[in-house]
Amino acid sequence: MSLREQVIKSPGYSITKIPNIKKFNQLRDKFIEKMGIEKKSDDINSIRRDIALMNNAEVNKAMINLLSFDEASEMMIDACGDIVKELSGSEILIQRRANNIFNLPGKEQRRQWPHYELMSGISPYTFVLWAPFHDLQDDAGVYYIDQEESFKIIKKEHDEGLVNGPTILNMMHNQKPAKLKYGEVIVFNPFILHGNIDFNSDLARVACSVRFQNKTKPLMQKNSDFLKIYQLN
Amino acid sequence: MTVASVTTDINIGPFKIPSNAQNMIMNNYAQRNKIIIELVIPEPIMSDQLATTQWVTKDFNISGIVLCSIHQLPSKIEYLNKIILKFENTFFHFAIEGISGKGAIFLKNCFNEANYFRNAKFIDSTKTNWIELYKKLKDEIS
Repeated sequence: MSLREQVIKSPGYSITKIPNIKKFNQLRDKFIEKMGIEKKSDDINSIRRDIALMNNAEVNKAMINLLSFDEASEMMIDACGDIVKELSGSEILIQRRANNIFNLPGKEQRRQWPHYELMSGISPYTFVLWAPFHDLQDDAGVYYIDQEESFKIIKKEHDEGLVNGPTILNMMHNQKPAKLKYGEVIVFNPFILHGNIDFNSDLARVACSVRFQNKTKPLMQKNSDFLKIYQLN
Repeated sequence: MTVASVTTDINIGPFKIPSNAQNMIMNNYAQRNKIIIELVIPEPIMSDQLATTQWVTKDFNISGIVLCSIHQLPSKIEYLNKIILKFENTFFHFAIEGISGKGAIFLKNCFNEANYFRNAKFIDSTKTNWIELYKKLKDEIS
């Protein structure tokens, strides 16, 4: 089954190698530089350990520093160019600012509760790339509910007049996040339910995600606030 | 050298932003980017020519202009060209898009991007539902 069929038809997502790992390495290095935190070394696990010890205000400060990392989005798209081309072609709209995400260990930390990407107002023709900046050896990653199951829940909620209601929000338990290796990316469609769970570790999880769609396809609520025009080589 | 923020009509391309909210957006952008705004220019409603902004340059040496969005640039190229001539060395900031730059190429790129979004096709989210949207994706592969 082609990547396009996997992502659009079933299971709605695909875990695959990042085609241009050199570019992804550059993205990770730049991410570390732009965080602007005091660090003991440039080693990613040492930095993850430092992040895990940060309080919420320090995490927020690093996140604000990363707002100026404008090139992250283009670097991620370029690193995954062949994947993007197969799904949306070369003339695309990409997320203006990639999401650089910290996920801290422990029960008291913020979690991304179960949701579909479509809920943010992107169009149904949008796809999401998500990749960690290190191996995922624990439950710090993201779990994904396959297309068939995700749609069953959409349908059930639709019949009840709900969107992202309690059925979905109560799905955080008993989920198993995907254990990606560094250099792997997950690409998924905007109807795939996903989220995080609590995890125990001395290390934080750091990852990058970006959204894209074909330029000629209709948009929905997102406009120039979120998207920009991009041409893949 | 003065940095000015500019408020405009509530209708800003796809967005509807009252002028006090425009000021909040621009002030937040300025704070995050360590820019000090010294002058607030209110443009009239129902005009996108930025004529007042051009006019006040006789009294102020404007080095930077903060706007909420690229959608506040003139929609007609002849008016944009006037801006390009008048503000050749002025830095423009667009807070919502989070972009900044100066000169003809930068402003024309912003103008073209605003034009693209103005003419793009949109799904009206008030007239659809999740099942229909799901079908649109599924129709991509049959």
